[in-house]
Order: sequence, then structure tokens, then C-alpha cells
Amino acid sequence: MTLTTGIPRVTTAVAARTVGVSKLYGMGDAAVTALDDVSVDMLEGQFTAVMGPSGSGKSTLLHMLAGLDRPTSGDVYVGPTEITTLKDTALTLLRRDRIGFIFQSFNLLPTMTAAENIVLPMRIAGRRPDAAWVDSIVETVGLKDRLSHRPAELSGGQQQRVAAARALASRPQIVFADEPTGALDSKSGTELLTFLRTAVTELGQTVVMVTHEPTAASYADRVIFLADGHIVNEMHAATADEILDHMKFLGS
Amino acid sequence: MLAATLRGMIAHKLRLVLTTASIALGVAFLAGTLVLTDTMGLAFEQLFGKVSAGTDAVVRTQAAYTASEGTSTSRPPIAASVLGDVAKVDGVRAVEGSVSGYALLTDNEGRAVVADGGAPTVGYNMPADVALRGDVDLLSGEAPNGPAEVAIDATSAEENGIALGSTIKVLFQGPPEEFTVVGTVGFGGEKDLGGTTSAYFNTETAQRVLGSPGLFDTIGVGAEDGVSQAELADRLAAVVPADAEAVTGAAVSQENSDAISEDLKFVRVLFLVFAGIALFVGSFIIWNTFTMIVTQRSREIALLRAVGATRRQVLRSLLLEALLLGAAASAVGIGLGLLVAKGLQLLMDVVGISLPSTSLQLEPRTIIVSMLVGTLVTVIAAIVPARRATKVLPVEALRESTPGAERPSKRRAIIGLAILVAGVAGMLANLYGDAPLSVFGIGLLAMMIGVIVALPLAVRPLSSLIGAPITLRGMPGELATQNAMRNPRRTSSTAAALMIGLTLVVSMSVFASSMRASFGDVLSDRLSADLYLTGPSTQSPGFSPSVIDAVAAVPGVDKVSASGFGMARFDDRDAPFTAVDPATAEEMMKLHTSEGSVRDLGENGIMVARSAATSHGWQLGDTVTAAFAASGEHQLRIVGIYDKGWIREDYIISLAQRTAFAGPQLLLMGLVDVAPGAELATVQAAVANALADHPDALVLDHAGYEKQGIGFLDTMLTFVTVMLLLAVLIALLGIVNTLALSVFERTRELGLLRAVGMTRGQVRAMVRWESVVIALIGAVSGAALGIVIGLALSRAMQVFGINTLTVPAAQLALYVALAAVAGVLAAVGPARSAANVDVLRAVVTD
Ligand SMILES: Nc1ncnc2c1ncn2[C@@H]1O[C@H](COP(=O)(O)OP(=O)(O)OP(=O)(O)O)[C@@H](O)[C@H]1O
Ligand SMILES: [Mg+2]
Repeated sequence: MTLTTGIPRVTTAVAARTVGVSKLYGMGDAAVTALDDVSVDMLEGQFTAVMGPSGSGKSTLLHMLAGLDRPTSGDVYVGPTEITTLKDTALTLLRRDRIGFIFQSFNLLPTMTAAENIVLPMRIAGRRPDAAWVDSIVETVGLKDRLSHRPAELSGGQQQRVAAARALASRPQIVFADEPTGALDSKSGTELLTFLRTAVTELGQTVVMVTHEPTAASYADRVIFLADGHIVNEMHAATADEILDHMKFLGS
Repeated sequence: MLAATLRGMIAHKLRLVLTTASIALGVAFLAGTLVLTDTMGLAFEQLFGKVSAGTDAVVRTQAAYTASEGTSTSRPPIAASVLGDVAKVDGVRAVEGSVSGYALLTDNEGRAVVADGGAPTVGYNMPADVALRGDVDLLSGEAPNGPAEVAIDATSAEENGIALGSTIKVLFQGPPEEFTVVGTVGFGGEKDLGGTTSAYFNTETAQRVLGSPGLFDTIGVGAEDGVSQAELADRLAAVVPADAEAVTGAAVSQENSDAISEDLKFVRVLFLVFAGIALFVGSFIIWNTFTMIVTQRSREIALLRAVGATRRQVLRSLLLEALLLGAAASAVGIGLGLLVAKGLQLLMDVVGISLPSTSLQLEPRTIIVSMLVGTLVTVIAAIVPARRATKVLPVEALRESTPGAERPSKRRAIIGLAILVAGVAGMLANLYGDAPLSVFGIGLLAMMIGVIVALPLAVRPLSSLIGAPITLRGMPGELATQNAMRNPRRTSSTAAALMIGLTLVVSMSVFASSMRASFGDVLSDRLSADLYLTGPSTQSPGFSPSVIDAVAAVPGVDKVSASGFGMARFDDRDAPFTAVDPATAEEMMKLHTSEGSVRDLGENGIMVARSAATSHGWQLGDTVTAAFAASGEHQLRIVGIYDKGWIREDYIISLAQRTAFAGPQLLLMGLVDVAPGAELATVQAAVANALADHPDALVLDHAGYEKQGIGFLDTMLTFVTVMLLLAVLIALLGIVNTLALSVFERTRELGLLRAVGMTRGQVRAMVRWESVVIALIGAVSGAALGIVIGLALSRAMQVFGINTLTVPAAQLALYVALAAVAGVLAAVGPARSAANVDVLRAVVTD
């Protein structure tokens, strides 16, 4: 078991970071503190997993980092850019050009084929996708013969792999995934996680993934634990068993 | 269940407002139409009632026949000597003859006093007995007494600055005369009689200038106190001559008001047709709305069904919703109807159709009919979607689903195409075969219905076609096109509403442009005139024959060929005829006489059109029995057979015959031939100069006459187009409604698009383009259908002289462009709500 103190490696650049970020939902007595003064760095070329009990603020943290929502206080950086002060359009363009997403479900536009969904962000930007790059990604996720299918004609696992391909196709600075394997069986889940791992190892992609499953988290270089809106711990290169043990330890 | 229904309705405010608006607009039109025609009817009745108020009985000659249309029944005059016999009858307090006729006032400068919209200009005798005057009362000055005195209606006096004591010229069918204005007249509080101009003379003068000395149109009788109208009429009947009758004043009023209803029937039917169209278009929106409500609620409904609600209960709840909505919207519609009635009145004024008016009449019948129709249409439009809802299986609804692409049903396409083909076949059978016009009408209707039914089939190809240029505008355009075709049935019923409106507008303009072109062609092909003489306005009854003599005397004028118009009964059927000058008609009007000659008309000749001769089996030399209201039956010998060209009537007689058979009448037009060598412009100026003393006529050149001839057509077209635009407006509301509901359905999708980088502007553009695609599907298919129908209609009207078919391309392009702009406007609201969709909505799973 490798418990560390959570000091970032100074040699690696930061892909995204929060500085003292808090998020409150609601007002007065009914107010919920989803995140409480969270400061965390997501390092470039690293696969980070975010874990924690339900309601601990994992999704909220992800949304802050990805520019999908704004914190109540604190700063969020994507690369060198401070994004909490960006106007809606600038933030949208930043998501389009520098961030990739994989959600738990409903990742794809039902009217478009898999191929069209993969290049969607680039098409929105009016850019021509890098065909060789897209091909290599499609190859890696193993979707070559499914490209002309619409989402309704794909299995859940295939849909998530299309989403993963889309997230990577525009060469984003960082990819966020919120329980991407949540709705998949273990085989499909393994395929997707292997793909993400490959993207990090071989292509140098940065990935941040929220998950409940120790097995999924074991694919990551680093695991961050959240509880009640605080980061309570983190592990590096942990195995599924080590993570499970730590979760039991936190739970007790 | 009721509480749940109500809560559901209130939860979707926008949908509620839009659907209510679409029903209410349709109902408003219906209610407005009823209100307006009731109001006009009452106004007419008041007017005629006012004039005949003090008369208890009328003695008049029996009509040779009752003209089929309205107030135009005319009778031979009655001898003044009858007056003396009537006066001796017991119970008679007062007897006076009445005379009325054409009288055109001029102002102090000699210009014609033309009533708004060409309402009649009439002269009357002023009864000496005040009671017999009815509601006609002197507002200033005194009653005309001497042979050179006149009292005129207060409106004419005020608007033209004609002061008491001044001298004005009044034009009649005979020679004009000068009169001193001694009084102004009002009609029971109104300053004119429904927009007409009135001139009152003493009885002797009136007989001289309006009728004939020694004759009256009718004789009015006032009863002594205690003698009822019926009693009086009975007693009078005993003394009147054999060819005369005595009727009560009430009966005459009733005749008048019946005649008015008959005249208004056309207006009423026309308006009701528009109201029907508006409701029909509105029902598409209701249909659409309920279909979408049901789709959105399918989960909720399935859940209800799963926990034990019966199919009936669900159906009942949905129909209850439709019932409540229909009733509430109809009530709103009736309120709006009063505004619509006011608006229509204004519109008719603006385009120059002036009708008498009084305060708006909201009859209980209007309320009941509007409520029933509005509610029923809503419930019926909701039945099919509601039935479909009850068939939703719980599993289907609980499955995670976003509305994806849906294919149009094959069966529906086949049925639609079958109806379409049958309709076209019917139309062709009339146009090129010998099926009656009714087959054409049914075929036309079938064709429209077929297109509406089969339209979902065309949504895909049309969207791709229309979307092609839009797709070039990047991702938003591409998505817009896909969204427009992902639910062909919804898109088509939204577009169908617009299509119907546009079909009607376009077919009207194609028809009108064909009519216009035909008119121009017939002017140049079938007339040989350099200048044209007409009345001062398109609807004026004509001008005095003295105009022809004045123009003929102008140097440079070679020939003048006058013509007039009239109604008579030929071989037991009412028909219009043209009266011509036999000396010049053949040459100036290019009659294309195939047998005989117009010069042979003489005293007892008649010319018949080739088509009429064929259908009656008439030959040259055969006899036609013609009955004229003023003079009874005449046996006329056929002296010529002509082809219809400029003259559209089946019968031609000479102007001299018309005077002999129908009494002195006005001329409708004169064709002027300029002498060789004389300059047209100079002659026109000289003719205009000669007409300075004849303000009842105008001289026009070719272009001017063409313009005047189609002026009325333009007026009608403007009117009809404005009415149909209301249907288009309702259709646009339908687009707003569909878009709003689609946006609501696609919330997650929109969130996803925003998350992966679509800006608000791009989202707005996407919704806007989708709206444009839908609008253009409606506009393009409507324009295409409208062109076909317009051309077919023009072709079907060939018998009425429409020989040239044209398509006003620029105008149609404008309509289509306007539809696209309207699509952009319709998208404003839905686009805004789409752009404001919460990005996280896509991420958060329920
Ligand atoms: N839109 C919202 N309004 C109010 N409260 C919210 C909202 N979104 C999240 N919360 C609250 O914030 C807290 C953190 O929520 P978050 O979704 O980040 O949890 P999570 O760790 O992702 O949980 P899970 O594992 O169940 O997905 C929870 O208490 C939740 O109830
Ligand atoms: Mg979560």
C-alpha cells in the first residue's frame, strides 16, 4: 500500500487545477455544500480517478474542472487559463477545443451515425477532422465496422466507446469521464478502460475519471478520495484490492 | 382525474397559450364573420325600414317576373290616375306617388359627387305628407317646392361644401338640369342613406327628370287612425286596376329585407369559407399539439396504466383536457371575434368595399355556434392522438428513449397518393372531358387532401433539397435539416397548415394574373378603340347618353360606339344582355359574327352567342321570347350569331331596342375611334374638355382603361389575400408551437451539444434553420399546389373569358421568401429557450 502525502510532482505540467473551490447548492438552512475549499491539480499525461461515497461531490468537482458549471468561490484553471471569469461563449469554445467528455449515458446525438458523432465537436467548430488521427482512434476502440450505425443500433458498450472516441478525436488537453462504465457489463467496461489507459500511456492523453468501482480506479495512475466535499486522501498506482481496502478503511 | 388534468395543463403554460391562440383565432374568424354579416344585415334593414316607415300600404303594378337576384326586381310604372281612385277609398288618410331614379349630383365647381366605393346615386320625389316621408327628415332649409329646387343628403352637402342657396347641376338619364339647393336631408339620425347620395325633388319635377310625367313607380298610402295595414290593403285591392296590386307596408319592408339577405348571402358564404379555412388550419395545430403531448406523456400514461388506470380513464382524461381547452379558447375567440369584425369592416373600407354599418351585433346564435364549433373541432382533433396514447404499452413507455427518427407509414402514403390521383383525374375529366364543374370542385378538394395525407412522404426529399444550401452553413444548418426530417409526420402536419394557406393565396394570385392577362388580351384583340369612355368609378352605373353626342362632336373623333347592359328573361331564364350601336358594333367590338349581321337588329331582332345557339338548338331566323320587367314579353328574331370575345353575354340587342323595352337607361361604355391623321393625345385632351360639362363620364386611353378594368379585381384580390393571411398567421403559430415542443423534448440533446462546444448562437441558428426548413416545406409545396390549382381554375373558367394562363413568378417568389422570413420570426422564442437550456441537463441522468 502506497499512501502518499499528495504533493504534486513538480516536474509535470498541470492540465487542470482548482484553487480553494467551494460549491454551495440552495440557500439558507437548505444549503448543501457539495465542495468545500477543494484545491487539486490534474497533471498532464496522467490518468486520475476520483472516488468517494455517493453525494461526496465527485461529479460536482468534475463539472467545475470541465467548465460545465461555475464554483461559488475559488478559481479553476484549464492549462494556464482561469475559467471562472470566462463569458459563456469563451467557456463554450474552451470546452469545444480543449476538453473531451464521456458521460455515464446519453453521450450521442440519436440522429447521427457513430462516425458523425465522433467528429461532432470539430464539425461544430467548422474544422476538418484529422482523418489519420480519427482513424487510429477508431481502430483502437475497435469500431471500424460500426461507423455507419446510429446510436440506437449500438450496444451500450459500443455507445460508450463511440463517446470515448469522440472525446479524444479533437486532441483535447484533458478528457473528463463521469462513471463511464456505470451502465456497462464488466467486459464492455474493461474494453473502455483499456482504451482510456492506452490513450494515456501511448498517446500521452490526460484523463480524469469519476468512478465507484475499485477495478476501474485501478487503471488510473492516481486515485483521489472525496468525502463530504473534501479531498480526504489519494493513492498512486494502486491495485483494485488496495483501493477496496482503503475504501473500507475510510468507510469505518 | 379532473384535478390532475388541470394541473397538467397549467404546468405547460407556453403550450397552453399557443394552442389556445390557434383555436381562438379560428373561432374569432367564425364569430367575427357572423357578427359582421348580422351587423350589415341590420344596417340595411334599418335603412330600408327608415324610408318605408310611414307607409301603411303600397299600390304597384305586378312585376312581369321576379328577378332572381335581390333588390333588382323592377316593375312597369303605374298611372298617376290611379291616385284619384285610391284617395276615395275609406280609411285612406294620404296618398302620394313615388318616383326614384338615377341622379348624379355635382358640386359648385361642376365635379361629380361620387359616393364612397361607388354606392348608388339616387334621386327621389319628396312626399308632401310628412308621415309618408318615413324617417327622411329635413336637417336644414326646406322641402323642394319649385321645378328648380332640390334637397340633398347632408353628407354630400358637407363633404363637398355645397351651401344652401347655391346652384348645382344634377345629371340624369336624360339631359342635366340646374337646381337651387333648398335643404339638406337626413335619415333617422344618419346623414346619408348607407353611403349613397340622395337628391329630393318635388313630385312633378321628379316625374320629369327621373321617370315620365303621368307615371309613378309605386303609390304610397297612409291609413287613418284605427285602420290596420291589412285592412287598408284589402280595401285598396278592390279598386286598383287589373295589372296592379295593393300590399301592406310591412310586406314591402319584408321583401326588402329578404332581398338584402339574398344579396348578403354571397358575402356571408365567402366569409364563412374563410372562417372554415382558418379553423381547418387551426385543427392541424391542435392535432399536432395533442400528438406531442401524448408522446411526452407516454411514460406518465404508461405508469398510470401500470398502476391500474383503465384505457377509458386515460382517454377520458385527455378528451376532458381537449374539451376544457376547446371551450376556453372558443370563449376567447368570441371576444376576439368582435375585434375581427371591426377589422374586417376597416379592411373593406380601405380596399373600397363600402357597406352600411351600425353598432356590432353579437347574437346569441353567434355565441352558441362559435362555442360548439371551436370545442368540437378541438375534441375531434384530439381524438386520434388520445386513442393512440391509450395504446401505449407500459414497457414501451418505460424504456429509456429519446425521440429518434421515425419513418412515414407506407399505407398512409399509398392512400394519399390514391386520393391525389383520383382528384387530378376528376379535374382533368372536367377540363378536357365533359364532366360537370362539380366534378372539378370535388377533384380539387380531393387533390388537396391527397397532398396533405401524402405530405410526410415528401418531407425527407424536400428537407434535403431545402436544407442543401443551409447545410453549407455548417453544423447548425446540418442538424437543423436532420431535425426537420426526423419526425416527418410532425413536420408535415406543421407545414401542411402553412401549405393550405399558401395554396389558397397562390392559386388566387395565379387566377387573378390569368384573368388580368386575358383582359389585356381581349382589349387588344377584340376591341378596336383608341379611347374609352366610362363612368367616373368602376362601380358607377354608367353615364348619360348625352355624353356620346358631346364626344362625337369633338373634332378628330371619327366614330363613337356606345354600349349598355341589362337583365331580361330569355326563354324563361334570367340572363344579362348587351345593348350596342348596330352601326358601329361589328367594326369596333370585332363581334366575329359567323352568320347574319348586327346591322339587321332593327326593332325586333336579337343576336345570340354561338355557345347559346348551340345549347338551345337555335338557328338564324328562329324566334326567342324575351321578357323585360318594364314592358313584358317580346318575340325577337335571331338575326346574327357571334363568338364571345369582348362581349361575354349570350344576347345582344340594340340600344334603341333597350330603350323601347326597358325604358331610358344609362350607357356603360363608349369606344372612340380617332380619325386618321389626328393625334391621339390631342383628341383625348379635346374629349376630356368636352366632358367638363359631363362629370358622369371619363375618357381613358388604352392603358388607363386596362387599369380601371382590373382595378376591381385588384381590390378583391387584396381583400381575399388579407383574409387568407390570417390562415397563414395561424399556421405560423403552429410552427412556434411545434418548435417549442420539440425544443422541450430535446432538452438533453441540446445540453449535450452545448457541453461539447456548441455556442448559444449556434443553438439559436439551429432552431432558426429548422423553422425555416419547415416553413419552406409548407411554402414550396403550397406554391406548387397553388400554381396547379390556379391554372386549373383559370382553365375551368375559360367559358368566362379567361383564355390566357400566366404565373406571376415574381409575386410567388416573394411569397416564398416571406414564408422563410416568417419562419425566422416564428423561431425567435423557441430558439431562445433552446439556447438557455442548462448544460448540465445532458450530464445528469434521472
Ligand atoms: N443541482 C443541485 N442542486 C442541489 N443540490 C445538488 C445539486 N447537484 C448536486 N447536489 C448535491 O451536492 C452534493 C454532491 O453531489 P454530486 O452529484 O457531486 O455527488 P457525487 O459524488 O457525484 O454522487 P454520486 O456518486 O451519487 O454520483 C450532493 O449532496 C447532492 O445532493
Ligand atoms: Mg455523480
